Amino acid sequence: MSTRTTGTKLVTAAVGGGDRKRYLRGFGGLLAFLLVWWIGAVTTQPSYLVPGPLESVRAFVTLFTTSAAIAVPLVGSELVLPTGLAHLAETLFHYVPGLLLGAGCGIGLGLTMGWNGALDDWLRPLVRVLRPIPPLAWVVFAIVWFGIHHTGAAFIVFVGAFWINFYGAYGGVEGVSTELTDAASTLGVERDRSMLKLVALPSAAPQVLTGFRTSIGRCWMIVVGAELFGAPGVGYEIINASNNLAMATSVAYMFLISLAFLCMDVGFRLVERSMFAWR
Amino acid sequence: MAMSKPPAADREPEEKISIRGVSKAYESTNALDDVSFSVPEGEFCCVVGPSGCGKTTLLRAIAGLDDVDSGSILVDGDPVAEPSLDRGMVFQEYALFPWRTVRGNIRFGLDRPACECADCEARVRELVDLVGLEGFEDAYPKELSGGMKQRVGIARALAVDPEILLMDEPFGSVDARTRDRLHAELLDIWAQTEQTVVFVTHDIDEAVTLADRVVVMDADPGTVQSTISIGSERPRERTAHEFVDYVARIRDELGSPVDISQKQRHR
Repeated sequence: MSTRTTGTKLVTAAVGGGDRKRYLRGFGGLLAFLLVWWIGAVTTQPSYLVPGPLESVRAFVTLFTTSAAIAVPLVGSELVLPTGLAHLAETLFHYVPGLLLGAGCGIGLGLTMGWNGALDDWLRPLVRVLRPIPPLAWVVFAIVWFGIHHTGAAFIVFVGAFWINFYGAYGGVEGVSTELTDAASTLGVERDRSMLKLVALPSAAPQVLTGFRTSIGRCWMIVVGAELFGAPGVGYEIINASNNLAMATSVAYMFLISLAFLCMDVGFRLVERSMFAWR
Repeated sequence: MAMSKPPAADREPEEKISIRGVSKAYESTNALDDVSFSVPEGEFCCVVGPSGCGKTTLLRAIAGLDDVDSGSILVDGDPVAEPSLDRGMVFQEYALFPWRTVRGNIRFGLDRPACECADCEARVRELVDLVGLEGFEDAYPKELSGGMKQRVGIARALAVDPEILLMDEPFGSVDARTRDRLHAELLDIWAQTEQTVVFVTHDIDEAVTLADRVVVMDADPGTVQSTISIGSERPRERTAHEFVDYVARIRDELGSPVDISQKQRHR
C-alpha cells in the first residue's frame, strides 16, 4: 500500500511541474489574443465594427450593475434580476427543460434500442434518416407548432439533446462485452431485465454520461441559434444589442454564455469523476 | 450445498460430466467432431490441444453458454441447456466487472437471485482469504495485476460453491512465476473444495502439473486424440523423470509442431 502512495505523489509532482508551464503558456496565449484584439479595435473604423477589450469588459460589468424584469413561465410572475442574470435565466427556462427532456428520452430510447435487437431492426433505418437533420432545421415546426417562445426554443433544444444522448446510450449498451454478459450468466443472471440492470447499464454508464456532457455544450449552441429567431434569452440579446450597434454588449453576452457553459461543464466533470472512480 | 443425487441407471455412479458425440461447426471449420469423454466427480481434468481444436468451444458448451450442433452434454445425468450456478466459469481475460470492487465482484453471484448464505459478508471474507487478496477488498480491477485479477475471477466463481469449476486458459495472460504460484494455490483450493474441475490449456507443462487426467485434442476437426492419466504425487517437479515422460507422451500425441502449424495454415 505504501508504495502505491509514494507512486501517486511522484506522479502528482511531475504533473505539477508540467502544469505550471502549461498555465504560463495558456496565459501567454490569452495575452497575445488580447493584444491582437486591442490593436484590431483601435485600427478599425468605424469603431463599432470591432469593439475593444476594455469597452467589452465595461459592457460586461454593466450587465450586472443594471437590472431587468423578466416573466417567469408557468408561474407567470415577474422577476427582477441584474440584466445579465435575467437574460441568462430566460435562456435557462427553455434550455434546462429541453436538455433534460431530450436527454431523458434519448437515453431511454438509446438503451432500449441498443439492448433489444428486434426494436433495433425496426427503428434503425428511421434513425438513419432523422438523425442527420440539424436540430435548428426544426425551427420551422417549432414556430408553427409552439410559436417561437420558451416552448418552441425548448423543442429545438430537445431535438439536439435527444440525438446526442441517444447515441451515447445506444453505443454504450451495444458495446457491452459478451465476456461480461457470459460471466454474469454463469453467475446466475437469467432474465434479460436483470442483465440490463446488473451488467449493461453499469457498463454503459460512462458513455451515457459522456453523451450527456457533450449535449450540455451542443445545446448551448442550439439554444443561441433558436434565440436568434426571437425566443427570449442571451442569444436574443446578442442580436438585439447588435441591432442597436451596441457591439460591446453583444460581446459581453457572448462571454456570459461562455462562462455559463464552462461552469456547467466543470461542474458536470466533477460529478462524473466522483461517480466513475473505477475507470 | 452439494446435493448428492441418486445415480441414474444409464451412467456410472460417479460420472459428473458426460460428453457424448458432440459436434459443432463454425462456417468452414469443424470445431468439434464427435467428441466423447466423461469426467468423474472430483476429478481435475485438463484438456490440452493446439489453438483451433475446439477446447474453448467445448468448455463453453459445458457451461451452457454455447449450443452444440449434435450430441449431448450431461451433468449429473441431465442435459445442459443453459448456464447454471452449479457450473462456475473462470475466463481467460478475467471478465471482471470493472465497476465493482474486488468485494463487489466476488459477491456478484451470491446476490443472484437472492442470498442463500447466512452471512454473505463473512463468505466474501472467507473467499478473499482463500485467494490471498486481504487488503485489496475495495480495489477496482484496474488497480490489480493480472494474477490478482484472476484470483478475483476464481473467488467469484467459487463464491456460489459450484460443483463444477470450468477454467478457460485462466493463467494464459500472467507471467511464469505468478503462474507457478497460482497453480499451487489452485491445487490447494481444489483439495479443500473437492470440486470437479475442467481446465482448458494449450500448455502441456501446465496440464501435467495440475491434472489427474489429461484429454489431448487434435485440431480441425477437433477430436479427442487420447486420454492420459497422470499418476504422480502432487506437488509435481517439472524436472522429475516422470513429469518429463508425461510431457513427452502428450507432445507425441499432439504430433510434431510442424504438423500442427501446417494444419493451422490449411484452415
